[in-house]
Amino acid sequence: MLSIKNLHADIDGKPILKGVNLEVGTGEVHAIMGPNGSGKSTLANVLAGRDDYEVTRGSVEYRGMDLLDMKPEIRAREGLFLAFQYPVEIPGVTNMYLLKAAINSVRKHRGIEELDAREFLKLIKEKAAMVEMKQEFLYRSVNQGFSGGEKKRNEILQMALLEPHLSVLDETDSGLDIDALKIVAEGVNLLRSEQRSMVLVTHYQRLLDYIVPDYVHVLAGGRIIRSGGKELALELEKKGYGWVEDQAAA
Amino acid sequence: MTEITQHYVDQFNAASAGLAGRGLPWLDDQRQAAIELFAKSGFPGQYEEDWRYTPLKPVIGKMLHVKVDSEIADTDISKDLITGLDAYRLVFVDGRFSPKYSDTSGLRDSIVMNSFEQSVVRNPELFTEAMRSEVPLSHGFAALNVAFSTDGYVIEVAENVKLDKPVEIIFIGVDSNLATQPRNIVHMGKSSQAIIIERYVSSKQTGAVVNSTSRITLDDSAKLGYYLVQTQANDASQITSVDVRQGRSSWFGCYTLTLGGQLVRNNLRVSLQEEGAHCDMLGLYNTGGKQHVDNHTTVVHAAPHCTSRELYKGVLDQRSRAVFHGRIKVEQGAQKTDASQSNNNLLLSSNAEVDTKPQLEIYADDVKCAHGATIGQMDQNSLFYLRSRGIDEQDARALLTFAFLNEVLDEIEVEPLRHSMESFLAERLLENA
Repeated sequence: MLSIKNLHADIDGKPILKGVNLEVGTGEVHAIMGPNGSGKSTLANVLAGRDDYEVTRGSVEYRGMDLLDMKPEIRAREGLFLAFQYPVEIPGVTNMYLLKAAINSVRKHRGIEELDAREFLKLIKEKAAMVEMKQEFLYRSVNQGFSGGEKKRNEILQMALLEPHLSVLDETDSGLDIDALKIVAEGVNLLRSEQRSMVLVTHYQRLLDYIVPDYVHVLAGGRIIRSGGKELALELEKKGYGWVEDQAAA
Repeated sequence: MTEITQHYVDQFNAASAGLAGRGLPWLDDQRQAAIELFAKSGFPGQYEEDWRYTPLKPVIGKMLHVKVDSEIADTDISKDLITGLDAYRLVFVDGRFSPKYSDTSGLRDSIVMNSFEQSVVRNPELFTEAMRSEVPLSHGFAALNVAFSTDGYVIEVAENVKLDKPVEIIFIGVDSNLATQPRNIVHMGKSSQAIIIERYVSSKQTGAVVNSTSRITLDDSAKLGYYLVQTQANDASQITSVDVRQGRSSWFGCYTLTLGGQLVRNNLRVSLQEEGAHCDMLGLYNTGGKQHVDNHTTVVHAAPHCTSRELYKGVLDQRSRAVFHGRIKVEQGAQKTDASQSNNNLLLSSNAEVDTKPQLEIYADDVKCAHGATIGQMDQNSLFYLRSRGIDEQDARALLTFAFLNEVLDEIEVEPLRHSMESFLAERLLENA
């Protein structure tokens, strides 16, 4: 699904990623944990194609394609989805409009017939129910006036609608209370399948109580310094990031 | 007197005998006073603060290219009609009333809706005192309009009458390089209601100039929605002077929608003269190429307990330029005034330019006045967000631009007009993105 090799990326000339290697197989869920400033969000954004970052070395292969060579919209249409840490508010564009434009651009790209208004409405109601989003939010401007939890739920709704091959969830748990976290996690779990891979970027172990990963990686100083199974997350929770950082330095 | 001023004064002296309504004392007096004032003041110059950003030179030379023959040109107005808009309609071709394209059937007797020329020639008794009221000659263009005006529209809605349909006035430019000087007069009787859509379109590139004045009077509790819609060809120019006087508890909603024209200068002045009057002033402009759009608005709070709200939003691309100058004047004794004003601009190109200038003059002490202006660029986070959902960069840009203008579009209450503006904008934004 995804093969990251020796990835280096800068922002404003400052190196953030310093040689990341990661292999994500089809159907696998990987958690990337790490202290603040370790480059977790940078990695997520580089994968989605944000151009504030400059990739200076390395390669990313996604489903046999050179990911770094693709525009963000093409990545999305090819089934890569980024759930934003800070979903953007867009006054004047309704959620419905965005969702419809998004799904139809993906369908068009894949050579599937675009949905008409009625078909779309049926689908969106079903997906909204899945993430327990009230219908009125569909008709409001994108994320405008949404609480932190509602914004994250909206991200999961988009993900459910677009049915990506690979989802990258950037700090999806940040700013959520425990109830909102459960709803979001449930939505994500419903989307887990043998065909779909996920990369969860998170600072805290908490999210992983609800979405249990197959693999856990620790990113620190722009590199993955340790990988393991889900038990690694628990160990981190107990001992803190200092523990792996010290080990890596030793 | 400069040579150019002298030229126009000479032209007036030669033409005045043939101007519409010659012999009506009130009109003759107004024309005479206007040309005398023009002889003194001439055209505004860039040394004047209110005009310093407006490149008038190309317009001034063309101001008197009038049509000699009396034939009204044939044109195809079908493409200029708004889909689904059911309205009483007056059509002016190259500034002259065209009965052929107009339709006022079903209009009640209590409503006057006619051309200025026909009215002054055939029914001068129509002109009540309110309708004869003078156009404020605050600059040379208004003076020139009053002196030379031959046609325009006249609307009077009697007391308590509510129009069942909007009134649509279409000014079509057909012939090349013509200058027209429409003089429009609206009088809304006590508690009357109407919607007027005044549109400027061109059948092709014509390089035409329109110098219009609109004098609007609202008696107590009258309500008027007034749409000034400028979608003329991008080589046409227009100077508008809209002067509004509002009576007690009246409402005036003004929507200035500017998408066309090479040089467009809109002068809007609303005077809230009696208690409880309210006005909404909405504006939208979207420019590209080398277009120049200039909105000068003044709202005068002359009585207590009046409210005004103003919102102008603009999107500028390429080398285009916009000017917004919004003045709020609160006169002595106009206590409990509540006035707000904002002007927001989105620049799509580094060569586009906006000059925005709020100006508050407050002579009362118990008032609420708020104003704000912004000039920004496309938000990169929003753009990336949309693209990360599979939307083309070009479509995402158009969508965000559209969303920016939506706040004003949303306020257009005439649905077919709003849809027509939306599709006009969508087409243009996708083309330019």
